[in-house]
Amino acid sequence: MANVVIMPRQGQSVESCIITTWQKKKGDRVETGDILFSYETDKSAFDEPAQVSGTVLEVLAAEGDVIPCLDPVCIIGEPGEDISALLPKKDADDAAPAEEAKEEKPAAAEAEATVSESDGERVFISPRARHLALDAGADLTKVTPTGPHGRIIERDVNKALDAGFTAATEAVEAFLAGKPMAAEEPAKAEEIPAPAKAAEAAPSAEDLRAYVEEPMSNIRKVIAKSMHASLSEMAQLTLNSSFDATNLMAFRAKLKEAGEALGLGKITVNDMVLFAVSRILPSYPEINANLIDNTFRKYKHANVGMAVDTDRGLLVPVLFGAEKMTLASLAAETKTLAAKARDGKLTPDEMSGGSFTVSNLGSMGVESFTPVINPPQTAILGVCCTVNRVKADGTVYPAMGLSLTFDHRAVDGAPAAKFLKELCTALEHFDLLLAK
Amino acid sequence: MPKSQYVDPGKVFQPGYIDFDSIPLCRYDKTIDEEKQIYSKADFLRIYHDMRTIREFETMLNEIKVKSEYNGVKYNNPGPAHLSIGQEASAVGQAYCMDINDFQFGSHRSHGEILAKGLSSINKLDDAELYDIMKEFLDGAILKVVEGRQANPGDVKDLAKDFLLYGALAEIFARTTGFNKGLGGSMHAFFIPFGIFPNNAIVGGAAPIALGAALYKRANHKKGIVVANSGDGALGRGPVLESLNFASMDQITKLWGMGGKYSDEGMPILFNVFNNFYGMGGQTMGETMGFTSPARLAAGFTPSEMHAEKVNGYNPLAVIDATKRKKELLLNGQGPAFLEVATYRVSGHSPSDSSTYRTPEEIEAWKAADPIPAYRDRMIAGGVATAEEFAAIDEEIVNRTVKIIKLAIDDEISPRMDLSKQPDMISSIMYSNNHVKSMDETREPEVLLPKEEDPRVKQIAGKARYAFDDKGEMIPKMKLYNIRDGLFEAIIDKFYEDPTTIAYGEDNRDWGGAFAVYRGLTEALPYHRFFNAPISESAIVGSAVGYAVAGGRAIVELMYADFIGCAGDEIFNQLSKWQAMSAGILKMPVVLRVSVGSKYGAQHSQDWTALCSHIPGLKVCFPATPYDAKGLMNQALNGTDPVVFFESQRIYDKGEEFHKEGVPEGYYEVNIGEPDVKREGRDVTILSIGAVLYRALDAAKKLEADYGISAEVIDARSLVPFDYTKVIESVKKTGKIVIVGDAVDRCSVMRDMASNIAEMAFDYLDAPPAVFGSRNWITPAFELEKYYFPQPTGIIDVIHEKLMPIPGYVPTYNETELEHLDRAKKGV
Repeated sequence: MANVVIMPRQGQSVESCIITTWQKKKGDRVETGDILFSYETDKSAFDEPAQVSGTVLEVLAAEGDVIPCLDPVCIIGEPGEDISALLPKKDADDAAPAEEAKEEKPAAAEAEATVSESDGERVFISPRARHLALDAGADLTKVTPTGPHGRIIERDVNKALDAGFTAATEAVEAFLAGKPMAAEEPAKAEEIPAPAKAAEAAPSAEDLRAYVEEPMSNIRKVIAKSMHASLSEMAQLTLNSSFDATNLMAFRAKLKEAGEALGLGKITVNDMVLFAVSRILPSYPEINANLIDNTFRKYKHANVGMAVDTDRGLLVPVLFGAEKMTLASLAAETKTLAAKARDGKLTPDEMSGGSFTVSNLGSMGVESFTPVINPPQTAILGVCCTVNRVKADGTVYPAMGLSLTFDHRAVDGAPAAKFLKELCTALEHFDLLLAK
Repeated sequence: MPKSQYVDPGKVFQPGYIDFDSIPLCRYDKTIDEEKQIYSKADFLRIYHDMRTIREFETMLNEIKVKSEYNGVKYNNPGPAHLSIGQEASAVGQAYCMDINDFQFGSHRSHGEILAKGLSSINKLDDAELYDIMKEFLDGAILKVVEGRQANPGDVKDLAKDFLLYGALAEIFARTTGFNKGLGGSMHAFFIPFGIFPNNAIVGGAAPIALGAALYKRANHKKGIVVANSGDGALGRGPVLESLNFASMDQITKLWGMGGKYSDEGMPILFNVFNNFYGMGGQTMGETMGFTSPARLAAGFTPSEMHAEKVNGYNPLAVIDATKRKKELLLNGQGPAFLEVATYRVSGHSPSDSSTYRTPEEIEAWKAADPIPAYRDRMIAGGVATAEEFAAIDEEIVNRTVKIIKLAIDDEISPRMDLSKQPDMISSIMYSNNHVKSMDETREPEVLLPKEEDPRVKQIAGKARYAFDDKGEMIPKMKLYNIRDGLFEAIIDKFYEDPTTIAYGEDNRDWGGAFAVYRGLTEALPYHRFFNAPISESAIVGSAVGYAVAGGRAIVELMYADFIGCAGDEIFNQLSKWQAMSAGILKMPVVLRVSVGSKYGAQHSQDWTALCSHIPGLKVCFPATPYDAKGLMNQALNGTDPVVFFESQRIYDKGEEFHKEGVPEGYYEVNIGEPDVKREGRDVTILSIGAVLYRALDAAKKLEADYGISAEVIDARSLVPFDYTKVIESVKKTGKIVIVGDAVDRCSVMRDMASNIAEMAFDYLDAPPAVFGSRNWITPAFELEKYYFPQPTGIIDVIHEKLMPIPGYVPTYNETELEHLDRAKKGV
């Protein structure tokens, strides 16, 4: 009867061995004690002697094969014996893994991407500060981080809260999620009691001194801080000039009359000033710039900020790359930004990164003023109203005033004046500027 | 260093020789007729039975390992099996001489030893005692399996044999019905009720433990001897050599008697070496050692040459003859003794052994000399019994073995621990958490004078137990009750309460401990309770393990924490593990005192709390005030768990600055694991470990005074276990925490705590927990220590750099993240 030779188990941790050399091959005659094959565990090498004499009828493993311990490796018997019953059956073993693989599929299909990308910048804030901000509703846009790595820590949030910078929890959550923080609704002023009608009794002494105490709104605080910093940190001075706005006005009148049909009717004087500014600015890199810690950030494009008065206070959205815009597209953009500003829908991105600002008080009849620079910009242009002036030859013309405040640390008087002069010239010949 | 012993320069240099007596080698030569005078037929047959039982048991294990089948029973055992086929006569011969109260500590290859001792004990116990033992052990869990299945119903000894084989095999197969619920396994199976103590997977690991058990017998006047078994390979290990020396100390016979007041007998221990010529594969004689015979080694330890002798371990009667004589010597107070039992393991070291180190001829020659058939044939030839009688024994044993393995592999009868259903099963046995005032309430403690008359006790009575007087002025140090006093009080109280309590270490007696904690104990305690150990840290700690395992309470001291390395195995593998490896059967009431140095440079100033805290099974304390030192020591000494008690040499003389009512004179406990708020604050938490507490408090004062920052200081007091509740509460309040300690920063307990706090209190943190330990350097000289150990300024620097930049603050040290990044990159 034929004998199956199995792979011996050599040790508790040995699960399989590798056959290194076959000393006998199929058909060889073997005597008891003859070495059949050599094999190795991870620890040692062994020779397997034949336990019986006979002929190698079948070799079930090749050199280099890794054979589980106790599995058959060859069969020794007498030539002609039927060994089919001793040959390993493989089919049953193969079926199992296939089923396992099948089971895994549904799990993989279930997996869905749940992480959503955030567009905004990452806010670095300690877990504790984050909780405090959410619990107390702190306006994180007003917080100055003082922790390591510019991280917002608890004391920073407390400082903002102490200063009254609050925000709705949803707004804080949105900010922490990297979305723009919607500005707080202006506190509704408590209605001041209407003055007593004449028919009624004269107000009491106490009533005459009545007032409503109202905390500064958050946006007011930001403006206050920024404006104060601007004046205290810069060497500002203002140059006043004016230009003959005849041409400009005529052009504006023409737009109003005939432009409607072409869709150009909404272009304002202010748009035209912004347009002129955007064309001149690129020639004055120190003016089309920010100054931060003794370093100029000279902008590639004319990113012109436009001051917009809103219920919440002054906001300054930016016309990015204004120098490339046509007058029409610039005008359209100013309308969009102004609307957004009034609706409180501006994103922080739309309000930062300006290289220069234009502020227009002309519509209010202001003839001349001292605009305050929006830090860290180096200059700001104030647009005033037109007044009629008389030329030497006696002709009356509309003169529009321009007030340029500049930071003398960044720009000297002469180049600032030159900028203003060039701007005046351009505005006086606005039609020609369009050809530029 | 007793003053009674004079080191005389006149004698030291006298010329002469040391003479050695001859060591007997295999001198047994009794004839069968002479033996018949000693042994009955039953004795002869029992010896055969026991050898044959071991052989069958190990053959079964081998078959299972190699073929996954034994007599038609199929099983796969992934665990180890270090077999000793060929060594049965040695084991049976030894066990034959041992009584129940003789303790046996096994070698690394000890299935044979434990079965032999078990069978011997079964023979010696009467049926009622035997049945009670089986019934009580693990609430009868093992008995339930074998009872009702025995071949000879009503035969308690037959039942007990099933019990023994089954308990051992179930243990080897990691079943809950094993002797140690399967937590010990093959190399750690033991059964205390039969006097079978832990054998050890660490070669030579059992020697110091056995020494400690002998010390327990010696110090507590207990009957019986201790046998420390090891292989010849273990003789290369320091702990074994330390134990041989420790057991041989002159003081045991020369000083411990104290002028006839107490016993002056030698240590009742037999070091028994089963010399099978190979330590795994290394050949001890001719290759890895130079003693030519282990017996030669022993001869050097004492003038008695430890009564060393070599005996033929292939003849059980020769082994009995020699062991009996050694035992008599020990019982006569002439210990310690040493016996080399020459034997041979025909099986491999383990089934993966391909015997690359020995020839088939050598194995065949030893197989030809197989002690079991040789013994049987000699008995038949001598007319003791017939071949049929021996065959009947063989059949009974095979039947028993088949029955036992079937039971042991049956998952219903012999289940494994179900850690999914009972996930806390192992957690619940890591510590015993008992409160035991005295390990032996039947005896009065042996002391030399009433406690009140002890000079140290009297001295302490005059000291101020709170550090400040009525005006808030610090009381001068000499008049101040300090940490030393707190430790001393707890320890002397325990000496007067628990008669088993002993303390030893280097320079403990006379000197009073290198740091004077023990000053005053010499006057109060006899030598056998308080003595100087040789400079043998392995033996000191290892013997404490054995002392506790045998039933006593030990306080051992390593002088400097740096010497923990010298007792590495004893602390990390023995002291820490035996409670759990015994499934909670053994208790380990040991306090290991280690002192953290300062001013003493790189090898004498290290805080190694991290090493001890890393090892599961140890408790670790590090008090910094007299109140905490006494309270923690009280709890450590009242418990049954191993406690590594860290002390700091910087602050031994600190008075009690926190408990206004002073350190209580009476008994109280501080819970190990409970940190303590030493200073309350709002803005930042400083968690301190050990002596750095006082530097943390200085930093807190400066933060308050100079920067208006209110720091809370928490003293960890213990490291394992550790209750984070108070720390988390504090962090919830302050949002910021820095953990400080004198250990080197890398892989410290501080780092572990920082990680745990970050996980547990993440939402409350205003900055990641900061860690400020010592630099990852060697400890420099005292003059440079401020650049190494955390200082108050450095603590503030870390707070400034990592937690909350302090406006206007200029740091002194570079504790920036950039610097840390660079240090980590360089491995410093």
